[in-house]
Amino acid sequence: MTQAVVHRIGPRRRLAIDVFATVNLIGTLGKYLGLGALFPVVIALWYGEEIWPFLAAGAITSGLGFALERLTAGAAVRVGVREGFLVVSATWLLAAGFASLPYLFAGGDQLGHPVDAYFEGMSGFTTTGASVVTDYDALPRSIDMWRAFTQWLGGMGIIVLAIAVLPRLRVGGRQLMESELPGPEIAQLSERIRSTARLLWVLYVGLTALETLALASLGWLGVDERMTPFEALAHAFTTMPTGGFSTQARSIEAFSAAAQWIIVVFMILAGANFALMYRGFVRRRPRVFLRDEEFRLYLALALVASLVLTAQIWGYGIAEGEAAVRSGVFQTVSIMTTTGYSSTDFALWPALALLSLFALMFVGGSAGSTGGSIKVVRHLLLGKVLRRELDQTVSPEVVMPVKLNGAPVDERTLRAIASFILLYVGIWAVGAAILAIDSAFSGVDLGTLDALGTSATALGNVGPGFGITGPMGSFAPLGDVSKITLIGLMWAGRLEIVPVVVLFTRHYWRL
Amino acid sequence: MTGVRFALVKVFLIGAGQVGFTIVEALHHDHELTVMDNEPSRLTAIADHYDVATYEGDGTSRRDLSRAGVGGANLVIACTSRDEVNLVAGMFARREAQGATTVIRTSNVEYVELWRGGQLDVDFVVSSELETAHAISRIIGVPAARQTDVFAEGQVQIVEFDVEEGASADITGVPLRDAKIPGDSKIAAIIRPRETTLPGGDDVVRPGDRIVVIGSPQAAKDWSSILWPESGTVRDVVVFGAGRVGSAIARVLLDQGIGVRMIEASREQARRAAEAFPKARVFNSTGLEPDFLERERIGQAQAGIFAMRDDAKNQYAASLAKVHGIPFTIAIAHEAVSVAAFEQAGIDVSVNPRGVTAEEIVRFAHDPRTKQVAMLEGNRYEVLDVITRESSRYIGTQFRDMPVHGALIGAIVRNGTAIFPHGDDVLQVGDRVIVFTEAANVPWVVEAL
Repeated sequence: MTQAVVHRIGPRRRLAIDVFATVNLIGTLGKYLGLGALFPVVIALWYGEEIWPFLAAGAITSGLGFALERLTAGAAVRVGVREGFLVVSATWLLAAGFASLPYLFAGGDQLGHPVDAYFEGMSGFTTTGASVVTDYDALPRSIDMWRAFTQWLGGMGIIVLAIAVLPRLRVGGRQLMESELPGPEIAQLSERIRSTARLLWVLYVGLTALETLALASLGWLGVDERMTPFEALAHAFTTMPTGGFSTQARSIEAFSAAAQWIIVVFMILAGANFALMYRGFVRRRPRVFLRDEEFRLYLALALVASLVLTAQIWGYGIAEGEAAVRSGVFQTVSIMTTTGYSSTDFALWPALALLSLFALMFVGGSAGSTGGSIKVVRHLLLGKVLRRELDQTVSPEVVMPVKLNGAPVDERTLRAIASFILLYVGIWAVGAAILAIDSAFSGVDLGTLDALGTSATALGNVGPGFGITGPMGSFAPLGDVSKITLIGLMWAGRLEIVPVVVLFTRHYWRL
Repeated sequence: MTGVRFALVKVFLIGAGQVGFTIVEALHHDHELTVMDNEPSRLTAIADHYDVATYEGDGTSRRDLSRAGVGGANLVIACTSRDEVNLVAGMFARREAQGATTVIRTSNVEYVELWRGGQLDVDFVVSSELETAHAISRIIGVPAARQTDVFAEGQVQIVEFDVEEGASADITGVPLRDAKIPGDSKIAAIIRPRETTLPGGDDVVRPGDRIVVIGSPQAAKDWSSILWPESGTVRDVVVFGAGRVGSAIARVLLDQGIGVRMIEASREQARRAAEAFPKARVFNSTGLEPDFLERERIGQAQAGIFAMRDDAKNQYAASLAKVHGIPFTIAIAHEAVSVAAFEQAGIDVSVNPRGVTAEEIVRFAHDPRTKQVAMLEGNRYEVLDVITRESSRYIGTQFRDMPVHGALIGAIVRNGTAIFPHGDDVLQVGDRVIVFTEAANVPWVVEAL
């Protein structure tokens, strides 16, 4: 009798997650991800460059994915909320590894070192745009395009893409998508998560095509001779995901004023909520923009910051007239949306302008955009929560639901936002401390503001920092510990911290 | 046209609860009533008091309705306390009694909105909550009033006032012919514990009297300030209780631009109210803790409305609020008996939602010419809104020559505009006449006009 009961109770299972199912799903994702290497193969063939680094990268990634899938085949597939965090986090590590393979194989001195290659890969997929490249002209065209393409894939999210395209992920897809899409909530465009994912990608592809066309036409019309179709595509690939990689050492400064203004427009779009844009543009209801509180604040912040920066630049005589306005607007939008392009070397600007840019790194784009950092909606809601706290200090009994666009926001969501911001600031500070310590040991010249800025730029997926990591600088001189720290920051920042951080809690793994 | 007769209406009533009882009380004189309920004891109680037919049955059963004879009714009223029963009964009555007017009672404002949108197949939907809210908003508009009612699309207001010691000497202590009565208004009745007079020029209003005034809305406000000089326009009201009644009241008051604070003990309900009324300030509190009342300066509110579910709580909270300084208290009395208790406790105005609902429903039972009916002082007086016929013997009569037979014409509506008649005005065919009269005289008055 006792025996039977013991038998029925079974042995103790210690893991709280279904590892087999998780690995199986990661394998499937990896298998398809490897196909992404086919695009640079086409570019390499076109320009007569080596294609084997890309073929090898694709084969290794797909092969690894296939192997993982086969090894765990037959396991009951139970990817629930718990497994979702691990799937997303691990897939992004895997994706960065995939992106780094061509750099390892064909990156030469600049990108050949494993840590450098992985840094560049993570910076690509997370749409950060921080680079260890120092000599841009030495890179093959296919590698240039690969850098841009990884950003484009990472911008709207590889899992969102997988949900849109692969039938397998329909079950439990919402949770995976929540972890990957920026912002505290997914605006539902459709009843079905798969249709939502598709609509987002269609809009993303459409806007990218539009920008490519707009930029390329500058070249065709002779307005900007440097803006070839290749450059147009490469920059559209890095504008729409708010990425920031450029094929040029001097970033967007290399192009004409017209090209810069076009990029400003598309950066603003990329930092706006895609669900909102879908309703506004595709369903032709332009009033949704005016009614959306987050969008209004987003534009207002961009406008005010642009004015401040323009006034600074003009006042200090760094530039004047249209050039001053353009630099002010471009740099505001670029940093705030976490794109990270530079149209000028802002590291040379006065202190107040630098501090403004520094602050903008913590603003970020809108929820549901491709932008990183804290996001406008979280600032908006935190502001409302703080105002309520003040009211409740005076009148503890007063009941004030926090509303967004007229609809009450769940208290749990508000708590999640507050803890997100605390985690964000905490991780940023720890990151900065590690950078400062490592730089002191390895003799890298990284000042206080530089360490803080570099940590913020990685966590916010912005791109350029201050000092040696500034707009015209490179992350190459940093030590390996610093680079690995930055890789972690970019990874956590892109996935909005929580899916990564829960992996480090005991009860995630153990019952 | 052979002699004018008060039209007999066959009324079929589903629900013999408080609302049903009040309706029967108001209608049994003049109409043929059948009352149906599934609770025999309630039917017995009604049958003991009034001469009406009763039928024990289920309002949601078409067979029961049919057997009880709903098919022969001209007016079907479903006024049980359950919305679903009323809705189903109303629907079946529509099929059974072709051409009858159907009225249903609901406690859900959503059904009222549906009905207004033409989505409910009944003639009228009456909501206790909305009627209560409107009654309260009228009182708030004329703070010295005990009860008010509006006629002719709001152009004519009937207000019941208590005359207190502080009232202006323009009105009190002098014969009415010498009193400075606000223009466009008339005193319809002076009510004293022992007698009620429809006053003439020699009568005198004294402190302690209760008077009924008919006049324009502006005149009603003027009366309010004469009788209660320190009252101004109400800008800050505290509503205790954010349930259905409290929420309906808050909505109506907020729509009029009156500042509302709400106090609700249930956390859930407080949150829902706060979400629904962004302009109101909602507190999660019982409203009974002295600390809270003191800290939030609840006593500085101009009026307190007590709309909690429990009459005893309303009464206590109202008394407490008075202690804290709220000058004017209106309490919801869910039970009819509470009205007297509230008055005893010093609450300024009591509103009985079921009474208000019954009153609204009774309006549909009167003659087709009779547009609206209000009941005052329990049900002892009614205010009618009647259109004069050609055959009326008073057509062409000057108002100074009108006999005073327990009825008084307060206003006439001619071509859509309210006129407050003077002695030399003449009654014309087709005038809408607002008449104040004793309940017993209603058929007579209607016939005379």
